[in-house]
Amino acid sequence: MELRGFKSRNATPGYIYFEGETEVKTPWDRFKRFSSRAVKGELFVGLWIVLREMLKFNIHTVQYPQEKLQMSPRYRAIHRLLRLFESGHERCIGCGLCEKICISNCIKMDTKVDEKSRKLVTEYSINFGRCIFCGYCAEVCPELAIVHGDDYEYASEQRAEFGFREDMLTPLDKFKANKQKEFPGFGALSKDADKFVKKTPLAY
Amino acid sequence: MIETALIIETVVKAVVVLSVVAGMGAFATFIERKVLAFMQRRLGPMYVGPYGLLQLAADGIKLFTKEDIIPQNTIKPIFIIAPVIAASSAFVAVAAVPYFPEFTVFGYTVHPIVSDINVGLLFVMGAASVGMYGPLLAGLSSANKWSLLGGARAVIQLLSFEVVSGLSILAPIMMMGTLSLIDMNDYQIGGVANWLIWKQPLAFVLFAIAGFAETNRTPFDLIEFEAEIVSGYATEYSGMRWGLFFIGEYANMITISVLVSIIFLGGYNDMWFIPGALAMLIKVSLWIFLFLWVRAAWPHIRPDQLMWLCWKVLMPLSLLNVLITGIVLV
Amino acid sequence: MSEVMVTIDGQQCEAKEGETILNIARRNGIYIPAICYLTNCSPTLACRLCLVEIDGKRAYSCNAKAKEGMNVTTKSEEIEVERKAIMQVYDVNHPLECGVCDQSGECELQDYTLRMGVEHQKFAIADTLRPTHDWGFIHYDSSLCIVCERCVTVCKDMIGESILKTVPRGGPVLPKEWKESAPKDTYAMWNKLQKSVIGIASGGDTLECTNCGECTAVCPVGALVGSDFQYTSNAWELTKIPAANPHSSDCSLIYYDVKQTSIHDAKEKIYRVSSNYSFAPIHGGIRYGYDFENEIEGKDEKAMKKAVKFFKEEADSIKFDSFITNEEALILQKLKENYGYKLVNDDAYAYKTFLENYRTTSGKSLYSGDLREIQKSNFVISIGSFVKNDSPNTGYAINNALTMNKGAGLYFHPISDPIVEGYSKNILCINHKIGVEESILYLILDLFGDKEKLPKNIIEYLNNFHKKEKKTITEVVKEQVKEMVRDEESGEEKEVVKTVSKNVEKEIEVDHNLLYDIVGLKDDFDIKLTKMLAKKDRFSLVVGEDLYTHKRAENLAKLLGMIERYTNFSTLIIPSKTNTLGVSLICDLDKSVGKKVVGYNVKADFNLSSLGKADLSFPALNQQEGTFTSMNKRVVPTNVALNFDGYCLNDLANRLGLIAENTINYTVELGSIKGYKSEEFDNLPNEFLNSGGENRGYLLDIEEHNASDEVEEIQEMVFDDKYAVYLANPVMQFSAFTNKAHQLNEAGALYASSEFLEINELKDGAMVSIVNKDAKLIVAVKLDNQIKGLIPYLPTFDTKLDVLPFFKDGYRFAEVTIKGVKND
Repeated sequence: MELRGFKSRNATPGYIYFEGETEVKTPWDRFKRFSSRAVKGELFVGLWIVLREMLKFNIHTVQYPQEKLQMSPRYRAIHRLLRLFESGHERCIGCGLCEKICISNCIKMDTKVDEKSRKLVTEYSINFGRCIFCGYCAEVCPELAIVHGDDYEYASEQRAEFGFREDMLTPLDKFKANKQKEFPGFGALSKDADKFVKKTPLAY
Repeated sequence: MIETALIIETVVKAVVVLSVVAGMGAFATFIERKVLAFMQRRLGPMYVGPYGLLQLAADGIKLFTKEDIIPQNTIKPIFIIAPVIAASSAFVAVAAVPYFPEFTVFGYTVHPIVSDINVGLLFVMGAASVGMYGPLLAGLSSANKWSLLGGARAVIQLLSFEVVSGLSILAPIMMMGTLSLIDMNDYQIGGVANWLIWKQPLAFVLFAIAGFAETNRTPFDLIEFEAEIVSGYATEYSGMRWGLFFIGEYANMITISVLVSIIFLGGYNDMWFIPGALAMLIKVSLWIFLFLWVRAAWPHIRPDQLMWLCWKVLMPLSLLNVLITGIVLV
Repeated sequence: MSEVMVTIDGQQCEAKEGETILNIARRNGIYIPAICYLTNCSPTLACRLCLVEIDGKRAYSCNAKAKEGMNVTTKSEEIEVERKAIMQVYDVNHPLECGVCDQSGECELQDYTLRMGVEHQKFAIADTLRPTHDWGFIHYDSSLCIVCERCVTVCKDMIGESILKTVPRGGPVLPKEWKESAPKDTYAMWNKLQKSVIGIASGGDTLECTNCGECTAVCPVGALVGSDFQYTSNAWELTKIPAANPHSSDCSLIYYDVKQTSIHDAKEKIYRVSSNYSFAPIHGGIRYGYDFENEIEGKDEKAMKKAVKFFKEEADSIKFDSFITNEEALILQKLKENYGYKLVNDDAYAYKTFLENYRTTSGKSLYSGDLREIQKSNFVISIGSFVKNDSPNTGYAINNALTMNKGAGLYFHPISDPIVEGYSKNILCINHKIGVEESILYLILDLFGDKEKLPKNIIEYLNNFHKKEKKTITEVVKEQVKEMVRDEESGEEKEVVKTVSKNVEKEIEVDHNLLYDIVGLKDDFDIKLTKMLAKKDRFSLVVGEDLYTHKRAENLAKLLGMIERYTNFSTLIIPSKTNTLGVSLICDLDKSVGKKVVGYNVKADFNLSSLGKADLSFPALNQQEGTFTSMNKRVVPTNVALNFDGYCLNDLANRLGLIAENTINYTVELGSIKGYKSEEFDNLPNEFLNSGGENRGYLLDIEEHNASDEVEEIQEMVFDDKYAVYLANPVMQFSAFTNKAHQLNEAGALYASSEFLEINELKDGAMVSIVNKDAKLIVAVKLDNQIKGLIPYLPTFDTKLDVLPFFKDGYRFAEVTIKGVKND
């Protein structure tokens, strides 16, 4: 009985163990191996498979500029800064958690106090030369303000062309046209998020 | 008068054969890309022209207009002449190859062979072997380690398999008693049953394997295997110089396909209802397809395996074949 | 105070009797949570988190005094429940704006909420609208405030201004229902919390204080923040660079909080200055005057060559001020030694001479006191120092001594200072005539001197001032009178003994001290002093710049030495500028300049300056590393907060022939100077220990030697107080450097009290001409509410105002005529 599966307890079950090839010692063994390989017709199996695929003509190519893939919400592309649906105001409150958590230390923000005595984010930047698109910033954001977009077409002559607030923030015209979508991916609330919230008693 | 006509005829034939083979070589690159793509569930070139057909032209324009770079430490004359040798030797070999049966145009009988010499096969083999100088000289003159390795690999591979192809073809020659390719073709008149492949199966297989090796095709494409030696002898080449190597390789491919078809597969004789010319086209096309098919399906082998295969397996087998043929003939 | 042993959580701890349990625990590394308690301040009992069990009874450890054999438990289930409930209450209605709060991660409310494991809220009460207030330099967000009263406490006990207090919050009263469900202390604390919020004591909406900003430093939440810093950066993004206060001689430990200027400008910028509020308060001058850096673009080779040429070919003296590091002072001294430049520094020269004279009679190379000593003492005298403006930290120490040690004090100064008067009711402010400091020192010798040890000639001299006088006084005599009282209900008569006070006139012989008259003390001074001196055992004497710029400075210094030797007082001579002490110890100074002068931060023929617009720019003190010699006789390191691309004094010295790679290479060479040690700069620590120990740099060694008893008699000075003007900087301004800071930038003026304005019929902001025989100046007059009396003062911080010609002989007082000028 094969005991190996029991002996290596740290291995994940369901793995198939490959014992390795039997060692070739004598020239006779070598000849046997050669002939068995030759006679087995593995070479012809290979030929058959590629021919079959050609005949099936099941083409997987996406003809990119004309056809585009629908990205998964979990895809982590260039970041976007969202606006509040109610007011159109920026969601970002300038808490700086993204700046803190960023493991490649590429997020920076400038804040000041505005005339309403609120914290105003005057500038926000991500250095995409350093960003590793780990998604921590989107995950940590308490306001769902910074999210990863699905726009994977980011080629430019200048990296800086994506990196500032006005590049990432939903433009107002787009926002007014109701084109800002809530972000379903990284860092978004789970569907059962309500269950984890405890109510605080309020006296009024 | 007759001599003048002969000269004109030869020149015309030479030009036609040259352009057709070159054109076919170029077209073969397109076909190769398409076939490989289909076998890998891809589409291949699609953008230039309908179904990417004009990709050919685009590549050609690109190759011609590319800057001609000769690296600093190369041995210039040799570096320049090497691709020319590769291409010209391939085309010279084509000269003694008959493609089609004779036909008559405006009452003038045309022999579709540039030069019908009676040692045609020997000439073809010899001329093709000269092509070895192309990679060798390119590799030596490039002042590049990968080029040098590529050149070295080219020499050992071509030399080794020259032996196998020579020995394997010896048996059919013994049977047919001629070196003229036209005679060999005529030897097989009378339908599929008369094909030499049935009489010399081993020679056929050996010659085919040697053919793959001599044209540097997968699984024997050690000379310019990217993962190991970048682009082998052609590493430093670009533009049309590189293009000449390329055309030479594809011309060789066509030559080998034609040779196999003529020697073993009944040549341009009529096949059932199919006229000889068409049959020849089909056979050659199938052979070229086989080259591509193998490339799509098989991995390549190591140089030591190649040598082992050549000297320890194929060469003894071909000798054995000659021996058995001799015994049977006697 | 005797030593006692206290057991805290099974650990034997040594303590002084009367020390609080919390401080003992902290010193021994035992953790007791506490929000409202501040080291060196009185316990507030607002948070009640420091709840412990002492011998089975509940007590607050910040308040409980150690007694022999006490057994303290800091943790029990009951206490934990109480503490958790307290934190829950603190979280009631606390706005969830941690994301934008300036405390950003330094929040003690956050820390304790997590530490006590508050995971849900069970308490609730309707919220009250609590508006935000802009108090000038300080922004108060009352909705974030947890009314721990730390700000109130620090302002009262440390700073001494009591400008803040708790005021009614308004809003609902805590419902009774919570009394049953909430733990006892929690309810009590909540009840108080719900009623109060912080406000300005005067009831106004502006802070009439010296703007030290210490309240923002102690605030455990983000309620009190500097207005300029508000919302500009998260605390965790700032790099703290330990340094020493570069503006005044206290050289307190500060941290420059540094970050890049903005996304588009990667240059470092100081966002704020923070401090260790537990052990080292800092004043407004440095809290708000931190961005005085010298901004230049790269090395100016041309200017450098010009400077080298000037030094080699023309210059014969270097004039500088004391806003330099010890290392720079040493470089200057070496330049003098090697190339013979004269070194001229007026304030350090005065200080140096004063110290030298002090040594002759005190027998010590340096004065014995320091700020820590003042804090520990319970009787403090200040002479000749405009404490609030000159050295606020000395003022804090005096106030702390008065409030925490139930101390008393005397403050001698010609200018009346309501802030100092407000320190305590036990401080007696004496606004004497200008120039009588000699008499004051003699008076102190007379009052506190050890009569047995004092030299005879001095005793005799002092006795000259005593005169017997007959005086009629009214004395209160208490008599017991028996009286028959009829009880109205019962009708019974009872004999009741009553005490009745009677005034009896009596003629007695009184010892009248003529020195009192000279100094201007009233007759009741004796009685007051006796009261003040009750139970006092630790004495400190602070003297200021007035004395060492005095015309009789030599004798004053010698008298001070006598006081040091023959009384219990430990003296502290406040150096006028940051490193005056260091410069006076390191440099061999000359009295006057030669023909061609190089000025370092001082105007001269060739200007080296860190103030900008100089012939050769040098780094400012926040762009330099080096050490200062503080008034605490401590050599403290300061580090580079901001980058400086140009040349520094060391580069110039290298070109002139001294060779050192960095300025701080000279730190170790300081050892060649008496009192200093050969310590590498990089080995100097700069921190406070948990127990409050000051682990910063090293202390100067004090040598003792034989002393003489030679002093001169009082020489009266002729000075008409009516025409007096004083040389001092307004609160928060110390030099041109503080004025360069964006928050403190202002134009200099003649600062005067409202009394002065009234008498001269001037309005705040009116132009006046100031004239004396040496100079003339037309300047605006500015109302200073924090002085009283008729003596105005002129500042030095404004480089556009050249006021020094008025004070030609260096004395801080000058006679001038001040007249209003009509504004045409």
